Amino acid sequence: MTPMANVTLDAKGLNCPLPILKAKKALKDVAVGGTLEILATDPGSVADFDGFCRTTGNELAESSQDGDVYRFVIKRLK
Amino acid sequence: MNELAPSTIAGIGGFLTGLAFGAVAQRTNFCAMGAISDFVLMGDGRRFRAWILAIAVAIMGTQALHFAGVLDVDKSIYLSGTLGWLGAIIGGLMFGFGMTQAGGCAGKTLIRLGGGNLKSLIVTTVLGIVAYTTLRGLIALFRVQLEDATNIDLKARGLQSQNIGELAGMAVGLNSGTARIAVAAIVAFALLLYCFRDRDFRRSPVNIIAGILIGACSVAGWLVTGVLAADDFNPVPLASVTFVSPIAESLQYLMTFTGSTVNFGIGTVGGVVAGSFLVASLTGAFHIESFADRNDLVRHLYGAALMGAGGVLALGCTIGQGITGMSTLSLGSLIAWLSILGGGYLGIKYLEEGSFGDAIRAVFARG
Repeated sequence: MTPMANVTLDAKGLNCPLPILKAKKALKDVAVGGTLEILATDPGSVADFDGFCRTTGNELAESSQDGDVYRFVIKRLK
Repeated sequence: MNELAPSTIAGIGGFLTGLAFGAVAQRTNFCAMGAISDFVLMGDGRRFRAWILAIAVAIMGTQALHFAGVLDVDKSIYLSGTLGWLGAIIGGLMFGFGMTQAGGCAGKTLIRLGGGNLKSLIVTTVLGIVAYTTLRGLIALFRVQLEDATNIDLKARGLQSQNIGELAGMAVGLNSGTARIAVAAIVAFALLLYCFRDRDFRRSPVNIIAGILIGACSVAGWLVTGVLAADDFNPVPLASVTFVSPIAESLQYLMTFTGSTVNFGIGTVGGVVAGSFLVASLTGAFHIESFADRNDLVRHLYGAALMGAGGVLALGCTIGQGITGMSTLSLGSLIAWLSILGGGYLGIKYLEEGSFGDAIRAVFARG
């Protein structure tokens, strides 16, 4: 079992730039040290969340795929 | 040896150019709208620099071919003696805003379509119909009136074209040929400097490769229509990679196939979808995608309509004006490209803020 994230964002069916845009907003409501789980179906989101965490200084704790759904877990570091 | 009609050569060449473009963009995630959103949403300028590098490569290749006498880029629509400045501004803003609402620009829509995104099928269809309506249909009446009222006739002012080098030469009293070479070299150098002074970009081979290859596709397009398909008796229009009018023409071509002639643009549209499909299938990125909800459909519909009308008004898209047009150093292309960037920025802010008024306020609060 993957540990439960503090907040989950369902961005399934949305395309760039909406998953990132919504994740950026949702992350503001996560306490530093907490995690945000994002579910998405846009294949471009894999590279997008990788880049998002790199440039915003947060940790991409998980990036996985289950069928057509991508799952990302971001740990808010700052 | 050449038994193929020039239009057929242009169509096949267009398909192959599009195939490369679609494959590269699918593999490298090259995306003009993504370039703007990366910058605005997370301060990541790597994809934007890939676009700038593509422009630099296209300028160097195209200008080298022009000055070597291989092709005469002055015959392209981008360097006409008539400057459609207001169409470039209004159309560019519309196109830029529209692409953020519709999940990507016209070219990206074709790439997504090849990757299995069925929203893109709707966007392509609506974009094509609205573009055709703006080219020849109902909206064309307004477009022609706007152009007649605001276009500037540069030839009446003693200029041959809207090449930035020629305009600069006139301003400082240099002869046109020298000024054009100088400006081409300076602009290309400045763009390369902007790209490679950035450490993140230097460390991102995928974006460097994307920039080089996408820029090269634009140069290849000029070679197809200007050299391979050149024919003194039966010339094809000098053109390179651009997507709005070609999507409209492709829809018409599909419907009236038996009475229609293929051209370069129609070839590229098919090629991009095919190239993207091939790479997406081989890399496991192929996914059937559908609309998330009602709002998602509404956004894509008006985004597509704005791109269709805006792309025709501005004489091109992020690629058509933003790379191909820029490669000719046309003033109109520069105005259109900057307007597309402005519209894209506003569009991202609109998505972020949720209303047009708040988006405008956010733009100026930041400025």
